Amino acid sequence: MSTLWKEFSKGLWRDLPPFRLVLGLCPVLAVTKTADNGLGMGLAVIFVLTLSNVFVSLLRNIIPSKVRIACFIVIAASLVVCVELLMQAFAYPLYQQLGIFVPLIVVNCIILGRAEAFASKNTVLMSTADGLGLGIGFALSLTFLGALRETFGYGTLFGKSVMWSGFEPFTFMIEAPGAFVCLGLVLAAMNALTNWQRGVKGLEAVEGPKHDCKACGMCNTPLK
Amino acid sequence: MDYFLLVIGAIFVNNIVLAQYLGNCPFIGTSKETGVAIGMGFAVVFVATMAATITWLVQKNLLAPNDLGYLQTIAFILVIASLVQFVEIFLKKMVPPLYNSLGIFLPLITTNCAVLGIAIICQREEFTLVQTVVYSIASGAGFMLALVVLASIRERLDMVRIPIALRGTPMALIMAGLMSLAFFAFKGMAA
Amino acid sequence: MMEMIRMVLVLSLICGASGFTLATIRDATAQRVEEQELTYVQGPALNQIFSDIDNNPVKDRARIADAQGQEHIVFPARKDGKLVGVAFQSFGKGFGGDLGIMVGFAVDQGGKNELAGIGVTTMKETPGVGTRITEGDFRNQFVSHPLDDVALKSGGGDIAAVSGATVSSTGAVAAVNHAIKTFNEIKDKIPSEFGS
Repeated sequence: MSTLWKEFSKGLWRDLPPFRLVLGLCPVLAVTKTADNGLGMGLAVIFVLTLSNVFVSLLRNIIPSKVRIACFIVIAASLVVCVELLMQAFAYPLYQQLGIFVPLIVVNCIILGRAEAFASKNTVLMSTADGLGLGIGFALSLTFLGALRETFGYGTLFGKSVMWSGFEPFTFMIEAPGAFVCLGLVLAAMNALTNWQRGVKGLEAVEGPKHDCKACGMCNTPLK
Repeated sequence: MDYFLLVIGAIFVNNIVLAQYLGNCPFIGTSKETGVAIGMGFAVVFVATMAATITWLVQKNLLAPNDLGYLQTIAFILVIASLVQFVEIFLKKMVPPLYNSLGIFLPLITTNCAVLGIAIICQREEFTLVQTVVYSIASGAGFMLALVVLASIRERLDMVRIPIALRGTPMALIMAGLMSLAFFAFKGMAA
Repeated sequence: MMEMIRMVLVLSLICGASGFTLATIRDATAQRVEEQELTYVQGPALNQIFSDIDNNPVKDRARIADAQGQEHIVFPARKDGKLVGVAFQSFGKGFGGDLGIMVGFAVDQGGKNELAGIGVTTMKETPGVGTRITEGDFRNQFVSHPLDDVALKSGGGDIAAVSGATVSSTGAVAAVNHAIKTFNEIKDKIPSEFGS
């Protein structure tokens, strides 16, 4: 039970996908204009990631290792098509808002990365916990970033006005440049927090997590 | 003239990374050195063009006539994954020097959303085959431009003292934001 | 050899299972997806044309074939249970590709018909220039316009083009004229589809 909780909870803080592992950046930047969009994208990712982990884990002993990547891609892509159809049927405005980033969930490195690094080596229960945990962490991060950008960029939160009446919206935040700068500052804040915690324990300050594609586990290519 | 606008639009106005948010993982991940950035850039131009062309043919000849449009995502990603495998084997056997310089980037490209993104954009914009080829080359070039510029900025950043919390990825993202702001000016020119 | 067979077998099994599942989901959702698409893509244009109606045109839609046998999705507009107009989509050539225009017709009981208005459904026009065809200044010229002589002023008619966007304006007018031609072919079938 305790290991199950450990696998689940690591996605919520220690390995928080976009802020700690620095993975799957495109949707993080693209769909966080508003908190609603961030949450919608997050839910879609929870669905795909959890189910892809479940299926990969179920089939892990049947799939021959030489074609495993192809199998993972088929599983992930089918789930994404599934999400596309369901979203069109039940949440069409969200589908219009997220646009091209719905089909692009399939190339989000978290999905294939977890299939390769975790689900193909662990039991179904563990993989479900892993997928759910990382998925929820991803969704919360997207919602947080969306809320931040929406509050300053539109002066609203989940569509409701939250700033004082004379507030002049800071349009920079909702455009592409704002997305990059905002994510950069959030990452820096996370690093500063870590270093403060280390300082309390009497440890030396360190640099934040490195972003090299190795983190996603798909490519074992040694890049400098 | 139309093609000229398409090229300018894809490279500057709607730059694939800085305005359309595609391909950010390799953009941040492989922009520490200019040499690596150039290699990655060429690999993306090459694969994106081939992928967009082949997926265009698949969509128009296989999916659309059979009313299978909803399988677009799954068909496209399979085409791209096998294309990357095939290119890797082909280069290794036939053009070893090219393989030595581009080879290590190829596995990264299957999960590069810029490649799948360009293929899907070409379908959503209902481009013709020629427009698809032109657009995908231009978009790939736009990716390479952004990547090389960011890499040269980051090489210079190595020589300055930055607060420790900002070092690495956070600083790279803020630099990308400032570049994006510069590219944003092209939007005003286009309108 | 065994390894090879196993690889092919597993891959085809997974592909087959995924294909079957997706086809099932697709069949189950197809009708809802179509309705959602019409509501969110064509619905706003319909609302611009018919502001004072009490039915849901998307829900009450029907397919009607024109003289060439081509089917059009026709949306009826009702007020107090009486049919006051119909609308359907038509296409013209814009500056950035096809221009989708929803053209509404007011159906008069006496047999005299006129345009009820137009709304833009899809376009790729230049922002700030061609996109101004969506604004009231251009669109309102079509409200209560008779069904003949729909043309730009430069072509001898009475519709003022959006300045700087001749191509978009011409495309919109072409789409309206195309719709009028279709309307004349299908108007006899309207009472039997929607009542009066």
